[in-house]
Amino acid sequence: MSYVDAGYAIALSVLFAYSVGLVARRRRLARAVAVAAEDDAFASAATVAAVEGESGGDEPARGGGG
Amino acid sequence: MNPALRRGIGLAALASTAATVWLGLWVTPPSVQQGNLVRLVYLHPAIAWDALYVAFGLSAVCSLLYLWRRTRSLFWDRLAAASVEVGVVFNALTLVTGSIWGRPTWGVWWTWDARLTSTALLLVLFLGYLALRRVPAEPEVRARRCAVAALVAFVDVPIVHFSVNWWQTLHQNATVLNADLSPTIHGSMAWTLLLSFVALTLAFVWMVTVRYDIEVMRDQVGEEELEVSLAERWAEAQAAEPVMAGAGLPEGSAPPSPPTSGPAPLDPVLRPGEPAGSGR
Repeated sequence: MSYVDAGYAIALSVLFAYSVGLVARRRRLARAVAVAAEDDAFASAATVAAVEGESGGDEPARGGGG
Repeated sequence: MNPALRRGIGLAALASTAATVWLGLWVTPPSVQQGNLVRLVYLHPAIAWDALYVAFGLSAVCSLLYLWRRTRSLFWDRLAAASVEVGVVFNALTLVTGSIWGRPTWGVWWTWDARLTSTALLLVLFLGYLALRRVPAEPEVRARRCAVAALVAFVDVPIVHFSVNWWQTLHQNATVLNADLSPTIHGSMAWTLLLSFVALTLAFVWMVTVRYDIEVMRDQVGEEELEVSLAERWAEAQAAEPVMAGAGLPEGSAPPSPPTSGPAPLDPVLRPGEPAGSGR
């Protein structure tokens, strides 16, 4: 292989590999963002349910004490 | 960026790069002095152009715009980060392709020539920038630090450019961007060189847009994780409250002490669902 062939092969393959890596990273992060959004929605719903359940349980006690 | 536009830029970059390779390897004639080694000239200067002037120039402009109060926005910080990472890849390739050209031309893979040394220093400086971005900090603090670092590193770019004029170097003088702005290359060689600049600049733009998306999503994931963990801690604190109240304890007994290894009490300002940065 000549120096010219080696230069073209190395430069173009590095740029190609980096581009493929960028696309793969973007896809992986897009999935992570979607999962994090789902988790966030789940956690918020669970928190709301927990807070509501607790306030619902307090009401009779308050009523009884008042 | 509009996905269709980005796809168009990507396809244009691919097509023009393929045309550059075809013209550079099979159509253009060999040089009288360099023979077939001149074909590396259709690659090396274009890669160096993208690294030094486009990538690091863009990062310096973005850093200035971030540091200026009137235009301060994380957009500039993310764009600078994207540009630097792609620029570092191009800078490394500049050194590699230059070395491959230098071995048969100069007889050595590397020499401590002013142009080569200052270019290697530039790579180290911007690798430092990328390392600085990984130091944990608030986004604004990180952006300010990195903007200053990018501007400091950019000082080396004019040194690289003028090194062949300021010092006696083994590296040849500028062929296109010389002092007279009169390119010393002609015919199909000049057109192929010009096409290589266009092709690799298009490739650079495509890479920076993808890398910018990654930077945005990375910040989003960080914020989402923070919000989820805050919500979980809030729920745990709420669930632990009845136990902490000491209900059902016999009179005279001490109330239970708060857990030392559990979650710390939440700031009352923070509530689940609020943006993570709202409390800062």
